[in-house]
Amino acid sequence: MESKAEATKKPDLKETADYFKHLSLFWTDMAYLISSKPSALTSAGPMRKFTMQTKKLANEMIESNEDLIEFNNRLTEYYKQLSDTWNEAQKRFNTKVPEIPNDVEQIESSKRVWIDIFENAFTQLFDSEKFGENFGKLISSELELSKHWNNMFAVLLEAANVPTKNDLNEVYQELHLLRKRVSKLEKSEKKAVVEHNGK
Amino acid sequence: MENELKIDPILLEEFLKFNKNLIEAPKMVPAMDEINLEMTPFDVAYSEDKMRLLHFNSPVQKQHKIPIIIVYALINRYYILDIHPQKSWIKNLLNQGFDVYLIDWGTPTNIDKFLGFDDYVNGYIDNCVDFVCDEADVEKVTLQGYCTGGTLATVYSALHPNKVKNLIATAPVIDGRKDTTVVGNLAKHMDVDKMVETIGNMPPEFMYYVFSVLKPFEQGLEKYIHFFRNIHDKNYVDNFLRVEKWLNDTPSIPGELFRQWIKDVYQENLLIQDKMYVGRKLVSLKNITMPIFIQVAVGDHLVSPECSMPLYYAVGAEDKTLRIYPTGHVGMIASSFSQKKVLSELGQWLSERSK
Repeated sequence: MESKAEATKKPDLKETADYFKHLSLFWTDMAYLISSKPSALTSAGPMRKFTMQTKKLANEMIESNEDLIEFNNRLTEYYKQLSDTWNEAQKRFNTKVPEIPNDVEQIESSKRVWIDIFENAFTQLFDSEKFGENFGKLISSELELSKHWNNMFAVLLEAANVPTKNDLNEVYQELHLLRKRVSKLEKSEKKAVVEHNGK
Repeated sequence: MENELKIDPILLEEFLKFNKNLIEAPKMVPAMDEINLEMTPFDVAYSEDKMRLLHFNSPVQKQHKIPIIIVYALINRYYILDIHPQKSWIKNLLNQGFDVYLIDWGTPTNIDKFLGFDDYVNGYIDNCVDFVCDEADVEKVTLQGYCTGGTLATVYSALHPNKVKNLIATAPVIDGRKDTTVVGNLAKHMDVDKMVETIGNMPPEFMYYVFSVLKPFEQGLEKYIHFFRNIHDKNYVDNFLRVEKWLNDTPSIPGELFRQWIKDVYQENLLIQDKMYVGRKLVSLKNITMPIFIQVAVGDHLVSPECSMPLYYAVGAEDKTLRIYPTGHVGMIASSFSQKKVLSELGQWLSERSK
């Protein structure tokens, strides 16, 4: 177990990130407050929207850096799990096949052993709780990064008066509901025709 | 010389032969797009949005009154059921005198991201069943579902038992908690809400990742070495390329459907507990009272037998059969073994119940 003194010596990554986040936000706010009045005065038309949204861009950038740390941690763990499993499997193979094979038959059989050992080791890894959990979080942090990316794009698209992802989602949802309503109407109409003909 | 390297001449010959095969391969092997699958001819009997209902032309006289609708899976494409004239699931059923329809889900795009279980089960499948009942002049059909299609067919049969004469569930995903495959492990740890909100539909790339972690050395390495060793064997190359084409051809899965799938079937395991809701209706497997035939494969590394078999015990049917085959997920539907064993047993069971 590490001593208390050793633990306090270690820099807290989260604390440092929080500090820089606060620092950036403070100065972004300040810069925004100071510049918003003159920029409001000087910008006209669609660009005005952009200047109003610059703070959002900065925020997204700061938050994406935070998520990038999490993503890198998860990715490092992912590769660590893969390389540990590889090394472990290779050790097992070396114990089973200590000498380098030098004829066709030996090569074939040692290849089979190699594949079996590696297949088992990696399937065990992919089936494990620790892999599933880390992989889930890796994907999740990657999705967080995509979210920030999308949000930053949305700021630019809004400024250019081009539909954003959210606008398109609204259209898709509306279309989905419309398709459902039409299908329902068609079904009830068909039922009515059958009933009418039946009578 | 003491340090002289001794190399077995046969080994050297093998090495040179393998290199020669690598060079000759492009001249001997067609590209994926050039492969002619020689599929069974069909008509598009009905279509709605991107879904198509295919009706296969039979080479023989129809011998059974009740038509079969095959509900294909959400992963990859339906043509695995007609991958080779000698290994075709569809052709075999047609030759046994059955009238065969198949639901092809097409390629969902962003516009389809809000389609959920309700749309698939109570919308598309129900409309296909109504259409076939009208066309064949019957009140009920036989429903067969493969893999995730098996789950959809099961849910449909539980919600509309009056329209299903027989249910055939081939490797269905039923009890997510008991699934022992890598797919189950990844699904249990997935933040599916975030995935659907951020990227909408479940992209094919993610499926390819999942495929790559299933038997990574046999399927990702050995298989291709074997392929280059055998490029002069026309039959082997032909079969290999057909299946490879299929493996590398998967559409997106609509986001909402994927979300419900992962949450209700894998993470909360609601389906087997009779707690899943589809279109505000509770799905009770006890409502499945029609004859049911369940097929599972011992070597299935996509849907483990433990995940499919609980269906046998959960249904309300008295006439129920469970068959366990010594093969894999694809071997059960597209192999010489499936032609000889799986389909002949199915055909016999079904012909007695298709009058």
